[in-house]
Amino acid sequence: MYTRTKNLLIGFALVLGTTVALIPAISAQEGAPPAPAEGRGGGRGGRGGRGAAPQPPAGPMPRLPDGHPDMQGFWNPPAITDIEPAQGRGAAPARGGAAPVNPALAAAGFGGGGIRIIDPPDGKIPYKPEARAKQQDILQHHMADEPELHCYQSGVPHSESNQFGVQIIQTPGYFVQLSEFMHTVRIIPTDNRPHIDPKIRLFQGDPVGHWEGDTLVVDTTNQDTRTWFDTSGNFKTEALHVTEKFIPRDANTIVYEATITDPTIYTQPWTARWNIARSRQTTMSDGHPYEQMEFGCIEGNEDLQHYTQDKGGKAPLKR
Amino acid sequence: MKDRISGRAGSRLAVFSGIAALCAATLFAPVYGQQKDAKFTVAKGWYNEPDLQGIWMPAKPVDNLEKGGFIKDPANGKIPYKAGGQAKRNENAKNPKTADLVNRCYMPGVPRLMYMGYPFQIFETEKYVAIASEYAHVYRMIYLDGSPHLDFPDLWDGDSRGHWDGDSLATDVTNFNDKTLLDKAGNYHSNQLHVTEKFTRTGTNSLLYEATISDPMTFTKDWKIAVPMIQKTGPTARLMEYECQDLAFGQ
Repeated sequence: MYTRTKNLLIGFALVLGTTVALIPAISAQEGAPPAPAEGRGGGRGGRGGRGAAPQPPAGPMPRLPDGHPDMQGFWNPPAITDIEPAQGRGAAPARGGAAPVNPALAAAGFGGGGIRIIDPPDGKIPYKPEARAKQQDILQHHMADEPELHCYQSGVPHSESNQFGVQIIQTPGYFVQLSEFMHTVRIIPTDNRPHIDPKIRLFQGDPVGHWEGDTLVVDTTNQDTRTWFDTSGNFKTEALHVTEKFIPRDANTIVYEATITDPTIYTQPWTARWNIARSRQTTMSDGHPYEQMEFGCIEGNEDLQHYTQDKGGKAPLKR
Repeated sequence: MKDRISGRAGSRLAVFSGIAALCAATLFAPVYGQQKDAKFTVAKGWYNEPDLQGIWMPAKPVDNLEKGGFIKDPANGKIPYKAGGQAKRNENAKNPKTADLVNRCYMPGVPRLMYMGYPFQIFETEKYVAIASEYAHVYRMIYLDGSPHLDFPDLWDGDSRGHWDGDSLATDVTNFNDKTLLDKAGNYHSNQLHVTEKFTRTGTNSLLYEATISDPMTFTKDWKIAVPMIQKTGPTARLMEYECQDLAFGQ
């Protein structure tokens, strides 16, 4: 039986029975670790660990046959539990104002880095008061609604900060992201086509992309409101509009920016930024070239039963 | 909260069933059974590979492999079960809630993922072919780099390796578990299942999917199926989401 329980201690105990068993090995020689985008930030995972030798600077991103940047391959975004690290998780602020990082995942080479809200300058989501109250209520009392507990896809921009990495594929007219986590699929056409009917709601939304020079700009609407921005109750409404930029900084770093607009719950649009780092994993533990593995979520979910009634779950309160 | 999620998941299923039916009725030409057009030449992709890229779905979803002429070998169109196999199949068919884990939104396995009726999109790169299905955002990676199968059994959708064989994509899929079924009719396999597939574009908007099913634990000999696929085209064509949620899940 290889259905192994993988313990994902990302902010809270998320226990999923998965079929992931081959632990990727890391080649210290392969790839330069990314520097943080700028300023403070968590995401230490992408920097190559303490005491690692300085890496030479990475070259430019390769190019596709059509001339656009070739970002294909395996990437490690930072695993974000709270998109608003300066705000912290209610009564338990995140360490040092940075996004919480799982040390085990960081040591395994997961995680880009540099997450922070760059606009507004205070680093906080500009919630209207009633919306902030709702977010806090979710955080305190309804964590059993946390979307990933239910094996939903992550939604946007949270699918750009999934742990376990993402595989980028580019074909004529498409920029595709396949996450290992929850086998989330994001198919972004790059022809700037019109959005689908607003009545249709999708967990990953309707992404429409176009190139502005070497930057891929993606406009995403039609998101289902059952997904969050993170795992901290930062919720969505149907008015959500996300505009993202994938900026290839060098061969091993994509600078990612998401500008969030929703006049129903925010006083102004806000922008978060983080780095997506090229994976340094080149082989599996058995020497096989590195690949993402099948991720069974619904097939082995043991999460929901652990959520107590005060968090919106079914388990009785512990005395 | 349970009721809200359950209720919406239920209505979502209805909505997407409706969309799927609409797509099948309006967007897809009735080309089932179409043979390869002798004048058709498959275009080449960025890497000079046969261009199979597009959004495809079976011209006719396969609910029962033994009904609809999908089995090409043996000639009688029946699955060559070993003794007792048909009885087990019939038992599965009587107990779909427990025997068919697709009803709980689990990964459906290969080859079922290809013909169960949900569209899938093929993406080709130099090193691998990705196939993303509309069903429960399940995707397959088919590596073309000559790498061996993973030393890792019990995968829901198996481990796929492939190569270009003339104008076709040929695959070899192993490392399955024994928990998936081959269709809604209860047809089953063991974890010794070994599938080889062939994807061949037969026209601008048609593709022939062929698979050879090998499983000495379950069948007396290998058997072959063929399922014609049609392409979803036009400016609005895109892979949608069937975000499957087991209504009993978490309750």
